Amino acid sequence: MTSVVFWVGVLTLVGFYGILAMILNMEGGWGGMWDLGTAGLLAVASYFFVIVTLDDAMLGTRFAPGWPLWLAWPASAVFTGIVAFLVSLPALRLRREYFLITTFAFAEIIRQLIVVQDDLTRGVIGFSGLDRPFDDVVTGRDYNYVLLGLVAIGVVVVFLITRVVARSSFGLLLRAARDNEALALSLGRKVNRMRRETFVLAGVLIGAVAPLYLWYIRAVTPQLFAPAVTFTAWSALVLGGLGSIAGPILGAFLLIVFTEAVGLVDWSPDQANLATALEPFLVGMLLIVVLRVRPQGLLGERGAFRRATRRDRSDDATEPPANDALPAPAMSTPRSG
Amino acid sequence: MQNVVFGLVTGSILAIASVGFALVRQTENFLNIAHGQLLALGAFVGVVLVTEHSVNIYVAGAISMVAVGVFGLLLAILVFEPVRERGGTVLLFTSIGLALVLEAVMIAWFGTGIRLYRISFGEQHEIGDVVITTGEIVIVALTAVTVLSLQLFLRRTRLGRSVRAVASNADLARVRGVSARTVSATVWFVSAALAAMAGVMLGVLTSVNTEMGWHNILIILAAAVLGGLGSIYGVLVAGLVLGIVMDVSALYIDTSYRSVVAFGLLVLVLLVRPEGIFTLRRRQEATV
Amino acid sequence: MELVVQSVAKHFGGVAALDDVSLRASQGAITALIGPNGAGKTTLFNAMTGFAKADKGTIHFGDVRLDRLTPWQVARHGVIRTFQTPVGFPSLTVLENMFAAGAPHAAASVASVLRFRAMRAEARTSADRAKQLLRELQLWDLRDRYVDELSTGDRKLLEFARQLMMHPRVLLLDEPAAGVAPSYVDRLAEVIRSLRTERGISCVVIDHNLAFIMQIADHIHVLDRGRLIASGTPKEIADNADVMRIYVGSSAVAS
Repeated sequence: MTSVVFWVGVLTLVGFYGILAMILNMEGGWGGMWDLGTAGLLAVASYFFVIVTLDDAMLGTRFAPGWPLWLAWPASAVFTGIVAFLVSLPALRLRREYFLITTFAFAEIIRQLIVVQDDLTRGVIGFSGLDRPFDDVVTGRDYNYVLLGLVAIGVVVVFLITRVVARSSFGLLLRAARDNEALALSLGRKVNRMRRETFVLAGVLIGAVAPLYLWYIRAVTPQLFAPAVTFTAWSALVLGGLGSIAGPILGAFLLIVFTEAVGLVDWSPDQANLATALEPFLVGMLLIVVLRVRPQGLLGERGAFRRATRRDRSDDATEPPANDALPAPAMSTPRSG
Repeated sequence: MQNVVFGLVTGSILAIASVGFALVRQTENFLNIAHGQLLALGAFVGVVLVTEHSVNIYVAGAISMVAVGVFGLLLAILVFEPVRERGGTVLLFTSIGLALVLEAVMIAWFGTGIRLYRISFGEQHEIGDVVITTGEIVIVALTAVTVLSLQLFLRRTRLGRSVRAVASNADLARVRGVSARTVSATVWFVSAALAAMAGVMLGVLTSVNTEMGWHNILIILAAAVLGGLGSIYGVLVAGLVLGIVMDVSALYIDTSYRSVVAFGLLVLVLLVRPEGIFTLRRRQEATV
Repeated sequence: MELVVQSVAKHFGGVAALDDVSLRASQGAITALIGPNGAGKTTLFNAMTGFAKADKGTIHFGDVRLDRLTPWQVARHGVIRTFQTPVGFPSLTVLENMFAAGAPHAAASVASVLRFRAMRAEARTSADRAKQLLRELQLWDLRDRYVDELSTGDRKLLEFARQLMMHPRVLLLDEPAAGVAPSYVDRLAEVIRSLRTERGISCVVIDHNLAFIMQIADHIHVLDRGRLIASGTPKEIADNADVMRIYVGSSAVAS
């Protein structure tokens, strides 16, 4: 099934995971926050979006405000940002693995709540056959191109946003705090606040991106937001290079193309298990291998920032000379005592 | 009260699973996310032995423990040892990768269906107004015996004391001549074996499927962190408490909120325990 | 403004790291804190800068109570510390390390990325100041290097340069001469003295290198096992037999 439409779909998925990886890069790579709760925020955004755009209460839910797209989209971004803020209140009081556990726990709590509150979310059944923009204008297979276009725009926008953040003073301070929190604090930096703002920004971006995922899958169920999504995004990031600017999208490209290409193999029905097993297997192996062979990923952070700063400061002197000789000591003073 | 007993049973299983996890955290200094998959693997090995080869449950359990124990050790040597020096974060993500690979292997081999042990739980006993079956008593008893044996091992044997030395201060232990290799191997074997044991018990109590690993790793994390990651008894108590809290809460809230309660408790404790803030201060002074 | 420590006590488990310590650091002076390992010197620094909470006592800088503040608040009052191991910011170049200190506090907010022009102007000012400081400490040629490419001596100088970007009023120097080549030690002493004379910055210095301390200190306090056992001018301390006994007994160098 090597049709063009297939690859268009693959590229769309690449774009989506690339966006997620770029967001994770910002909070995890530069911000030093190991966030395993991405799928949770994605779930919040997706369900919020679907529910507020519902205009048919007969589907069995008690809440169907029927908001239009132009309202629902930004609203979902804002709402997710708020949820991210709330999660950050307890989470950012912790560090490293405790932060990680907390975000992971929140993602699972959110997923459970979605399953349980089925008068709002239709529980495990979820929603399907969702409306999409331009649905009535473009139909059938051609819609895939529209979706790819939307995702591509998303990729460019998120790329620019994260790039601006990276190269700003804020980005510098964020990375400094990640390197050495105590030192950053001793320089008067409000580290917690910087991290909170980054985390909330990540939430807003995830909220903005969620509808694209929805339109790709055309359905929303709790199972869609399993930890696997978070791990795939992290794997894409680690593969491409944690902390580099172009790394995430490169990693997403390689990872998704690789895993989807394997889906091209014609599986017979009794090999169904193998087919299901393939994706976690590949993602897992990639993670293990990359971390062993080249833990900084394909594009390291130092390289990325070195190139960036060199370009910016082209007016200053070029390559500094080697300076290993000890400079002459200052005039020595008579010993007292 | 009945729920407390249920909680005791699930808590026991949780305690067994978490003790191994905490042990690895203490001596190897990272959170081994693949632990959940070892639990699932133990459950599968057990159920295959019991249902397809008519092996006695206790024998199957023992076989599973040894097999998974050895397997866990091999995995540690092949996967974790080479990246040992790269730090806890790399190891953590490596373990996530390993968890995914193990899950994949289990799906490919065992399929995604649910399997049941179909073991009779024995007769029911009435103690006061509480009903408990023989099987459940066995689970709790086994847990107690295992924990006690583990404590004895750690306190009374030379190897056990070496393990404790490495757990509290790896550098000092090395200086004193403790063989890091032996300690590592022991810890990995024991941790995996305990995971398998918990898997078999859980499988007997509920069911076996390939989602078990991911489903349980978070609650295991919760118990280990709550228990302080350091002391065996602490983790045991945490496991029991979590089990009881989850099952008792079912009386007051919708049972589907079970895990929400557990995770909510985890987050709450993480905030209140000085451990979280202490870790920051410690690291602040360590970067100094 | 004086830095006043009043009856400060701090316990870790059952051990008293600090026990009823009171001392003053006068404005514009170089005050030294010496004592054997484990005497509580770094703990005192941590208590002064919000990294540890004193169990008892107070710490004032002017009329501000430092012991109630968080580390970044302490820094914003002009009390800046260095760290024993000059780790710095490893993934940043020397120049970027300076920027991390010199960037305006407004930059610590995501919204600041939108204020291009204002940020660029601030960046210019910060860059000029960084350049000046780096040149003064002869680190300018190393500005594109990373911290791990620098010698220990240069790293310590970078610590100074970075903390100076903060316009400090008091500098708390934690073992500035430790692990540094002897030729650098003299240079460091020179730098510290110039801080006082040229910039009027008060300094509180911890170090084990007694010769170094004698070179620079105006006033010395001696701590042992959490207690203050002696205070005085370098000459008085040098003549103090008890103090010298502690030092000869410990592994500190008194060349």
